[in-house]
Formats: sequence, structure tokens, C-alpha cells
Amino acid sequence: MDEYGVIVIGGGPAGLAAAISAKENGAQVLIIEREERAGGMLKQCIHDGFGLQRFGERLAGPEYVERFIDRVRELDIDVLCQTFVTRLEKRDERFYVTVVNSTGLKTLTAKSIVLATGCRERSAKQVFIHGTRPAGVFTAGTAQHFTNRLGVMPTKKCVILGSGDIGLIMARRLTLEGAQVLGVYEINPTPSGLTRNIHQCLTDYDIPLYLSHTVTRVFGKDRLEAVEVCAVDDSFKPMPETAERIECDALIVSVGLIPENELAESIGVAIDSHTKGPVCDGQLMTSVPGVFSCGNALHVNDLVDYVSASGEEAGRNAALYCARERHSVNINIGKEFMYLVPQQLDLNADNSKLSFYFRSAAVLGKSTLRLKVDGEEVWSRKYPFLRPPEMQQLVLDMTKFGIGSESDVRFEIEVAE
Amino acid sequence: MKEFSCIGCPRGCLLHVEEENGEFIVTGNSCPRGKEFAISEMTAPKRTICSVVKTVFEGVPVLPVRVSEDIPKEKIFDVMREINSVLLTERIGRGDAVIENVLGLGVDVISTSDLLKQNIYALTEERR
Amino acid sequence: MKTESINRKLQKKFGDRVKAELRDNCIYLSGALDSWDDVVEAGMTAATKNSRCHVVNDIVFTGAEPEPMHMPSIKDEALEGDSPDVLIIGGGISGSSVARELSRYKLDILLLEKEADLSLGASGRNDGEVHPGVDLSKGSLKHKYIRRANHMYEGLCRDLDVPFKRLGQYACFTHKSWLPFVWLYAMKRRYIDGIEDTCIEMGDAVRKKEPAISPDVAFALSSPSSGTVSPYNLVIAYAENAVHNGARVSLNTAVTGMKLDGGRIVDVYTNRGTLHPRMVINCAGVYADKIAEMAGDRFFTIHPRRGTNSILDKKAGARFSSIASVVGAKSPGKTHTKGGGILHTAHDNLLVGPDAVETWERENTATDRDSIERVFVKQKITMPELTERDIITYFTGVRAPTYEEDFIIETGRRTENIFHVAGIQSPGLTTAPAVAEDVAKYVADKLGAAENESFDPIRHAPPHLAAMSDDERAELIRQNPDYGVIVCRCEEVSRGEILDALNSPICVPTVDGVKKRVRPGMGRCQGGFCSPIVTKMIAEYLGVPLTEVKKSSADSAIVFESRKGGR
Repeated sequence: MDEYGVIVIGGGPAGLAAAISAKENGAQVLIIEREERAGGMLKQCIHDGFGLQRFGERLAGPEYVERFIDRVRELDIDVLCQTFVTRLEKRDERFYVTVVNSTGLKTLTAKSIVLATGCRERSAKQVFIHGTRPAGVFTAGTAQHFTNRLGVMPTKKCVILGSGDIGLIMARRLTLEGAQVLGVYEINPTPSGLTRNIHQCLTDYDIPLYLSHTVTRVFGKDRLEAVEVCAVDDSFKPMPETAERIECDALIVSVGLIPENELAESIGVAIDSHTKGPVCDGQLMTSVPGVFSCGNALHVNDLVDYVSASGEEAGRNAALYCARERHSVNINIGKEFMYLVPQQLDLNADNSKLSFYFRSAAVLGKSTLRLKVDGEEVWSRKYPFLRPPEMQQLVLDMTKFGIGSESDVRFEIEVAE
Repeated sequence: MKEFSCIGCPRGCLLHVEEENGEFIVTGNSCPRGKEFAISEMTAPKRTICSVVKTVFEGVPVLPVRVSEDIPKEKIFDVMREINSVLLTERIGRGDAVIENVLGLGVDVISTSDLLKQNIYALTEERR
Repeated sequence: MKTESINRKLQKKFGDRVKAELRDNCIYLSGALDSWDDVVEAGMTAATKNSRCHVVNDIVFTGAEPEPMHMPSIKDEALEGDSPDVLIIGGGISGSSVARELSRYKLDILLLEKEADLSLGASGRNDGEVHPGVDLSKGSLKHKYIRRANHMYEGLCRDLDVPFKRLGQYACFTHKSWLPFVWLYAMKRRYIDGIEDTCIEMGDAVRKKEPAISPDVAFALSSPSSGTVSPYNLVIAYAENAVHNGARVSLNTAVTGMKLDGGRIVDVYTNRGTLHPRMVINCAGVYADKIAEMAGDRFFTIHPRRGTNSILDKKAGARFSSIASVVGAKSPGKTHTKGGGILHTAHDNLLVGPDAVETWERENTATDRDSIERVFVKQKITMPELTERDIITYFTGVRAPTYEEDFIIETGRRTENIFHVAGIQSPGLTTAPAVAEDVAKYVADKLGAAENESFDPIRHAPPHLAAMSDDERAELIRQNPDYGVIVCRCEEVSRGEILDALNSPICVPTVDGVKKRVRPGMGRCQGGFCSPIVTKMIAEYLGVPLTEVKKSSADSAIVFESRKGGR
């Protein structure tokens, strides 16, 4: 039986970073990747802008991730590509990972596991687009795969639903490749993607953005022939009287990402209903001791730099992991938050340099983030604004706030008018 | 006065630019790069473009590329035409030029992946 | 006399706009109405349940343009002059089951389907329930076949290698006071109608087996013999086994007309040539009355009825493992259906629905938000934890009932060489195996066909590796390494299984064709990750560029040429 210190499930940016840091911390490491090649979604994210924080450069997705792959090779880390995990079990403090690939089926074991399984896109059906079922309805990621990896065009003239970053990026990509993007429709009153992407992907190419609008229906029996768009009211309900039919050959949906945690759930990992990722402590260990989570499987990040950082954190802790008692304290958040990660603090761990990631639930103006322990403010930071598309990161020394096992630890956001 | 978002980093600051006696006064930026971007936006806006080029190699229909430096915004579709005309017959690596000095802009179109360099990712069973 | 009473009722409802007339043992309705619901209402008013004197509804509907039949874009002479012994029109459950049963005889059988794949009509767009017959009284054809067919499913699905599960069904009641009446109903079903497994179970007993059932459920009418089958897989399996035994299937082939001579069909016109069959079997679903008309044998009318089902994530499927519905509770909207319900599918998802809406459009399978909302409101009474958030997809089917709401399984009344299998609606999927046996026997006798001694009832589906033990799976991968390469992560479908689907007896090399056969894209990501890979595999299999690969029909290309490489 193949025995490892750490098995990293997923060979995208999070998994690669986790494997590298686990190896650098002395563990025997294996990466299991379900696709033909490592690199995850960055294989098809050929646009630039990756690695500004980490490398100080604006790299294309493949460039960014191949730097990690190069490092994996240097460190001689084992990688199994086109290998799929069918079962994950824990017995007597060891993990048993059953995998299938073209050489057969086998079970590998490890002392700890890093789940770097990424996320998937919500589909058109999941946002209740109705009508017929023609060819020409794609998620932005699928359209990106066709355009950037297979070199074919998913559309000549399309409508994009959702102003998430992938949708915006695809609006520009398709325009550059000669397609006509008739408009980007966003159900929310504010864009879902980063401001700079609105500017450089839409404004630059005169692609209109329709806020508080959604696509309600598709038409066409064979290939998509048109879509129906509608303005929505304050409760996001389409207003039928505003319906408009737009002739096009494709609908591209970019309506959100969902962390993939089916494997995590199979081993009993508790999931946070806000992040849709595992509930973790400051070491990114999930509710199942020895199972760590990182990257977009943990929560959907806006920047790959954070994905890599959480991978490194999870990988290092997985390498250093040995079974021990945890002393967990919940970290509570106010309703102004969309979420905050980690959700718990393990008082038995080293919490002197903890990274927190959070998003606000709505667009907020001048705000103060406060950390309160038993009602007493122990730390605060001011923000000129907080917007849901922009994830915030902070690093805190959590040892200096006198947090004990009975403490009520709470982050709050106070909005100045 | 003009207002637009900075594209320098994810923060996306809203920049205000005012022209006074032929000089630009930039506000709203949080770093020097913002000011730089604002001025270039007013005088000679530049952008990066990323795309793919067709290859003759089996299993790699296209190779991702980008321009090595920002190019003038108005040249975007001219450079795209050049990129579209390429049929790659050499197994070039990451950072290698696909088109040198494209349209005389002093900028190369470079590969952004080692995809064509043997099986860079194929770290499979055999290796172990 | 009968006509007079019908006309009186019609007069009351619609004034002079509608008239009934008895002719050739059919009730012909004429007139014009601008509301489709009124057209249907008139038909229902004129109809007598289980009667062989059918309503032919010729009332002109003035409320909308008639929708043309969806036609294949292919036009060739591939079938010109073909003279099969039996020509089956329609590749749904009826057509394919009849084809398979007929292949037990020495006959040249040709099945025509106008769409790009089998089972694209109501047969593939229903809930897949194998019904127990708990709602059927003696006297109807539905009742005649239901028990015999229900008992056939284990053996049939074993032979045809189709997923089938006998799960049991609970028709749930929230008012305890109804118990005596429902008990009497159950006893009648059991002892008079012969639905022998009908019984009553009290709420706590039901919840012991299905904890997700609402505490408000006082008791349930229970039918342990109810089950679920994968409906499209059953249709495909039947057709594949028919082909294995010598029958032929021609997809993308629509019947456009017929020529009659002396009360016999002599020519059948299609987009692929003119055929001269000895015998025609009408299994045309929503178009069965149109086919009957072409054959000069129109004596019934189909009134299409839409139903929408939602498919929920397998995580929801894990929380409920049978079939349930609610009876007696106030249900919103006008319903004419077996009630709709919650059903654990043969593939372990949950299915919620269907509703029932009358429509003039025979092929409009577009979905609507309202349909789903309505069904969920109702079904949450049975299972409060049910949530729309678990929905991964939804689909609409159009059923093909007659106004008498029973099947028509009989030889032509005016035309000698046609046999109608029409008006097939729920529980038509369930009854198909038994109906097909009888139809095949009748037709074979009529044509004097001998038995086909080499008939092989066994059909093999592509292996489903995710459901196998580790050892079985490892052994298959040893034989074919492609079985170890997972393409669809949600449903765990391997490259080998997809290639098997492409190499199956009725090859449908489209993304939807492959999806139906071995399920890539059926899972929670709905093909987001695997559809480009499947598209690429199909292109490689066919030896064509990606731009030639279709989703389903010939006009459903998935991608277009790029401008790369100097094009």
C-alpha cells in the first residue's frame, strides 16, 4: 500500500501550493488530480492579472500556475493525474484514499489530507432560466474551455447573464475573438465582479451592463435563437411587463461558484452554509481532525494569490499535523458579513499570525471592522468601503486578546451612516 | 473632469482626473500606480491583451499567448488580427515569442504556457 | 339520444358555438372556440369514460396559430422503396417495446422516429414510475394491463439491463377522519379491482421507513409494488434489443403522408423516401391522431397535456427512498393528473412533479417557473424539508391522452393494415411491456409470421462502473484502461463507458445521446465540466471537427469555427 504523510486532493493552484508547502515542511506528499494535467481552472484562465500580490507581476493564468508546477517538479513531489478519488475513509488515525485511474483501482494512505477540490459553477437551471433546451446555453467556464483550450467559438452573438468576474472576462475574450456580446445582465443592483473588470472588460469594448436585470427564458428548439430579459424588482422578481426578446445564438451564464465538497461531506466534514465550504479553524483544519481545506473549496476567493496562500497554510499544517486535542472556540459574525473564514479558533494551536478572509453581505460605505471579546472591543480597522465582490484579508495575532474557552469572540462591521 | 476605475489592481479605485494648464491632477488613487494609470488613460491609453494561437500539434489545438507589454488601446484589434493569423509549428516554451515586435509596436506576442514543451504536466504513474 | 344530451350540455356551456354529431360510432365536435381550455372542456363534456365511441374534436381553436410539427432537416432517399413487413411509427416506449416483442417473430421490422434520438417525447419526459394501479377501476384498458405489466418489471429490466427499483408508494392523507373511507377504497381496490397489494399504513409506520414524511400525515394508502425505472433507458434498451434481433431503426425520419388503396395503406411518405409496408403500427404519441388521419382511420383525438418535473441533487435522493404524494390537501391550480409526487429515481436522484396543464402545443416542452412552484407548494405538504435549492434541472413532457382518458389498442376501424397504440398516457410506461406482448402477438398472427428461433431476450447496457465493487471495477479497467479515466466527475462516468455508448447498437453520437445512455452531464454541474470533453470525444469518434458535433438534432451545433490559424 502506498503510504504518504500528506495526500493533497486536487492539483489546481490551491493543491499545488499545499503540496509544495507540505513537502517543504518535511512531509512525503502525493497530489491527486482528476484532470489530464495539473493546473486546475488556471489552465483555461489565459487572461492576465494573476500574481500581482505574490510575484508583483500581471501573469496569465497558465504562467502563474506553471510556476507552481515547476516547483512541484523540483521538489520531486508525486502526482497522479487523470486519477479520481472514489472513496475517502478514516480508520485508526489514518486516511485511506481509494482512487481509480487507467491502471486500475487502489487505496493509498496518509496521515493527513488536504482537500483542494475547487469549485463548480452554478448552472442556468439553478437560477431558474426556463424555456426550451437548445444548444447554446453555457456556463462561462464551459465557454472558456471551448474558447481557450479547444480553440473553437461557443457563440457568434451572445448575451451574458451575471457580472461575476468570469462572465466579465469572457465578455472581453469573446469580443476579442470576434463574437458580438450584446450585453451583460446582472440581477443585483450592483456588479458582482471587480470594478477593474467592469472597466477593462466591458467599458473598453462598449459592452453594456444592465443592472437589476435577468434572463428569464431561452428560445429555440435546436440552437438557441433568442433570450428573454426582464428588469427585476427589489425582491429580485422579474417584472413581466419589462420583458424583452433579444435575438442571439448563445446565453452564457456566470451566476456564481459553489465550492465542491462532496468528498469532504462523505467523511463527515461540517459545512458552513454561508461559504458552502468546510467549517475550519485557524489552521484550516476541518471538523474532521487531520482533514484540511483550502482554496476555492474552502470559500470562493476573488484572487488566486489568496488561493495559493490558503493552500500553503493548509499544506504546512497538514505536514505538521499529529493527532491532538482541539480546544475550539467559535468565531461569531454580525449580519453585515456574507461570511468569515476561519469560523473557529483552536486555542491549543499557534494563533499568533492568523489569516482571516471575509466578504460583506452588501455594498457598504465607510465601515469599521471590530473584534470583540466578551463584548469588549479588542481590535478594529477602518475601511473606506466594503463590497461583496472584493474579499478582504487580515492577519491578526489572536493570542493577545485574552481569549479563553468560554469567551464570546465576535467580529462586527459598523457602518458610518 | 473625467472619472474611471483604476485597473492596476483588484481594489479598483475610482480615479478623478482634472486637466489644469496642460497638467493632469489625479485624485482618488491610493498608490502611485493609480496616478500613472490615470495619466496614461488621458494621454495614451494602453492595455494588455491575451488570446490563443492555433498550433499544428495533436492534443494542443491552441496555445495561450499575451503581449509582453501593454499596447496602445486602439491597436487591440490590429494585434488580434496578427495573433489570429498565426499557425504555430514550433514547440516553443513559456515566455518565448510567437510574434516578435508585433506591428512594429516594440512589443512581442509571447507564449504563456509550456503546454507544447513535452508533457510538462504529465507527472503520472510512470514517474513513480 | 346520447348526442342530444351531449348537445344540451354543450349548449349550456358554449351556446351555439359548438355542436356534436354521432357518425361511424364517433362523436364529432364542430364549431370554433378561442380558449383552448374551452376546446378541451367541450371534448371532455362529450366523452364517456372507457367508451369505445370516441370523441373526435374538430372544434377550431382560434386563440393561436397551430404549431407546425418539428421536422428533421435531413432529406434523402435512404428508405426509398423499402417494404418492411411491419412499419412502426414512433420511437417512444410503445414503438420500441412493440418492435422488440415483434422481433420474436420472423418479420422485417422497421421503426421510424422523427427526432434525432429515441424517447424524446413523453416516454423520456416523465417521472419513471412503475405504477401499482391503485387509482384504476375495472373496465379500462389501463386496468386490464397494469398488474400483469407491473409484475413483469424485475425480469424485464434484468433481461434488458435497465435500472429498476421496487420502492413502494404512499398516497398520504392528512385528515385522520378520512381513514374509514380510504380503508373502504383500499378494500375495493384490493378485492374487487384486483390491485392485490393495496393496503393502509398509519403515519408513524410510514415515517419509520421514511423519516422525511411530514408529521401531519395521518395515514397513507400504500402500494408496495410501485417502483421506478429509468424511462429513456428502458426505451433505448427495448429498441437496442429489437435491433439485436434483426429489427431496424431509422431516426430523423418523419412520416409526412400516406396513400390508401382499397382500405389499405400502400405507400407511406417520409423525408427519406416512400415505403410500402404490409402493416403499420401507430405509436406516434401526441401525433397518433394525425397518423390515424393520414391512414384514413381517424376515430379519436389527442389533447396534449403538459407536465413538468424537477430533478433534485442525489444528496436529496439520499434522504428519501420511495414514492409519495399527498391526497386531499388543497392543491393550487387546476389539476388533472395522478397527483404528482416525490419519487426516488432509478438513478438515486429525487424527482418532484409532474403537474398537468392542457395545451394546444403538441411539442412545446419549454418549462415555466409557475409549474415548478406549484408542484413544490403541494409536495412540501408531504415532505416539508423539500427545497427548490436542491433542484439541478427540470423538464417538461407532453402526454397524449384521448378524451376518454383510456388507451386505444386496436386494429384499424376503416383501414385494414394499421394497428393503433394510441392515447398512451400514464400509466403507459408501466403497461408497455404487457401491451407490447399482445400487440406483437396480434400482428404476428395477422401476418402469419413464424417464431424467430434465434431471438435473444438479453441486452447489455454499457457497464456502470461507479456502482460496482472495487474488484469488479478493477477487473474491467484491467481489460479496458479507458474505464479508469473519469470524464464526468459528478456521475463518475468513465471514458470507456462513453465510448461504449458511442459503439452501442443504436449509435446516437450527440452530447444528449451519450448523456441519456451513460449519464455524463446528468449530475449537479449539468455538464459544465465534462461537456467540452464529451464533445471532443464525439468529434474524435466521428472523425469530424468539433464544429460538427451536435447537442441533439442536426441543427444543434455546439460550437463554431474560430478565426484562428489564418482562417
